[in-house]
Amino acid sequence: MAGGPRSERGQSHDMTLTARAEHVDSPAGRPVARGSSRHTSRSVREERTGLALVAPAIAIVAVFVLFPLGFCVYISLTNWPLVGPYHFVGLANYRALVHDSTFLQSVTFTLKYTGIVTLPILVIGYLLAVFVRGNRFGATLFRTCIFLPFIVGITTLSFLAEVELQPGFGSVNVLLSKLHLASLQTVWVQNSTLALVAISVLVVWLASGLTMMLLMAGMQGIPDELYESANVDGASWWEKERFVTIPLLRRSIALSLIISVVGSFLAFNQFFIITDGGPGTSTVSVVMEIYETFNTAMRVGGASAMAVVLVVVVGLITFVQFKVLRGGDA
Amino acid sequence: MATHSLAARAQPAPGPRRRPGTSLYFAAGLLVSAVFVLPLAWEVLRSFQPASAITSPPSLKSFSHLGLGNYRQLLTGQDDIVRNVVNSLIVAVATSLLTSVVATLAGYGFGRFRFRGSGAAFAVVLVGFMVPFQAVLTPLFLEMHYLHLLNSLIGLALFYTAFNLPFGVYVMRNTFLQVPQELVDAAKVDGASTMSTLTRVLRAIVMPGIATTFLYAFLFSWTEFLGALTFVTNGSTYTLPVALSNVETNTYGSVNYGYLVAGAVIAMIPCVVVYVALQRYYVRGLVSGAVKG
Repeated sequence: MAGGPRSERGQSHDMTLTARAEHVDSPAGRPVARGSSRHTSRSVREERTGLALVAPAIAIVAVFVLFPLGFCVYISLTNWPLVGPYHFVGLANYRALVHDSTFLQSVTFTLKYTGIVTLPILVIGYLLAVFVRGNRFGATLFRTCIFLPFIVGITTLSFLAEVELQPGFGSVNVLLSKLHLASLQTVWVQNSTLALVAISVLVVWLASGLTMMLLMAGMQGIPDELYESANVDGASWWEKERFVTIPLLRRSIALSLIISVVGSFLAFNQFFIITDGGPGTSTVSVVMEIYETFNTAMRVGGASAMAVVLVVVVGLITFVQFKVLRGGDA
Repeated sequence: MATHSLAARAQPAPGPRRRPGTSLYFAAGLLVSAVFVLPLAWEVLRSFQPASAITSPPSLKSFSHLGLGNYRQLLTGQDDIVRNVVNSLIVAVATSLLTSVVATLAGYGFGRFRFRGSGAAFAVVLVGFMVPFQAVLTPLFLEMHYLHLLNSLIGLALFYTAFNLPFGVYVMRNTFLQVPQELVDAAKVDGASTMSTLTRVLRAIVMPGIATTFLYAFLFSWTEFLGALTFVTNGSTYTLPVALSNVETNTYGSVNYGYLVAGAVIAMIPCVVVYVALQRYYVRGLVSGAVKG
């Protein structure tokens, strides 16, 4: 982020100068091409132009992101009905969450799901990155292929998984029964363990491509000389990974972990589409619980309190992401 | 300078190495790639099977009657989804264009202009980045109801734009920060206005950043599901994923799996095409580090 215009223009643009400059400006609004007035009149225009340029973005983010965020906190402190008046109930919605067994179950389930998929995504993603990081013949093609499931996206793949997990004809059952690993009639979505296994495999398959791309970008920033000198020292493949790659890749590994954990915390599509939260409510994720609380139970205050908790948790993790980003290495 | 170090960083290891085992590597690579691509290719093949073949116990014979039946039914049948595909396209294209334009202007402002409040304004962008859209759908539903933006493709596109902007502004700000100052100065000496500097002098330099922003916004909005499910309740405004989920949860009769597979393949195509065309810009976004899962 070095080399921005700020560092190159000195500190002469203070407010008094800017205010005075309005009178010095030439009638046509063009900068007077002489002396300090040129700088100051330009800085007034610069102030206005800069503000005007960023205004649309700020307005859209304020209206559709920041306002709803504040509104969410506000609603969570009320007994907001769909129609009619409301009043403040303090932290009652939050206190209710502690005793809301469906919500607590969704939290436990989401943590369990996150715990299951995070490490496989990292390890498989890392190995894939090692495999495609060089520029050997075909590496670029392999990268594209491995990354395709992530590009197609979880929504589309969930619809397809729904079809292929069907008993009797789904490709997953056909393949596993041919290998004598499972019955053709396995009903994946009516058993919470099987459902979680199936969805976890789908997600690891889809998300390890993203981790691969993130780690590969980091690996390509490591200077070749380090590996060459490690070669001279007679280091094995694993020693090179352990003592050269992994230490220099800390930032990329941290980023990919944060991205995958946040993604798991916010999971919705795969559960809504493939299991619809079932059997019972055993595979309802936190986001799905918020959705159901609002859309089905129509408990606006309760849903908002859950959402505030989620925003705080995810916001903290994303904040760490930016700290890591600023930290910068490899 | 920043530009220089980035260029140096983007350089992969020097020239192709003629290592032994190149064909072994290639064979292994094809095998690994097959794990990720074959299931997708398999679904494309499945989409040409008649629905009755998809739902019957598998046999080689079930592949002898491949045809366009599912697609014909999807596109011309009684409850066709042409409208939903068009809705998805409108929303995705509008989101990507709006995000690109607004993020480019903001990136120009943040990267090239000094103004009071720029720190606070950029903080707004960063806070926006930290808010997951999944969490604020309830208040946003109430707000969009009040603004008459429910069941509206414009409303959906504005919502997608708002949540893609923080990433886009971040990418574009970094892009503009890397523009050499001499270029901007030269344009000013030539008497170019702010906007003509942008559209004539800087356009080519910042195009990669714009492509990155466009690509991420498109891939996000084309098959976004939860937001569309929440804000659109009217069949004629459904986007493709919402229409497919209605096929899937159809309780009044058996699910038409042929319809579902073909619909999912239609959803797959634009992502793959746009990605393959613009993939090097995707990596630029990843390198910026500001990616959302």
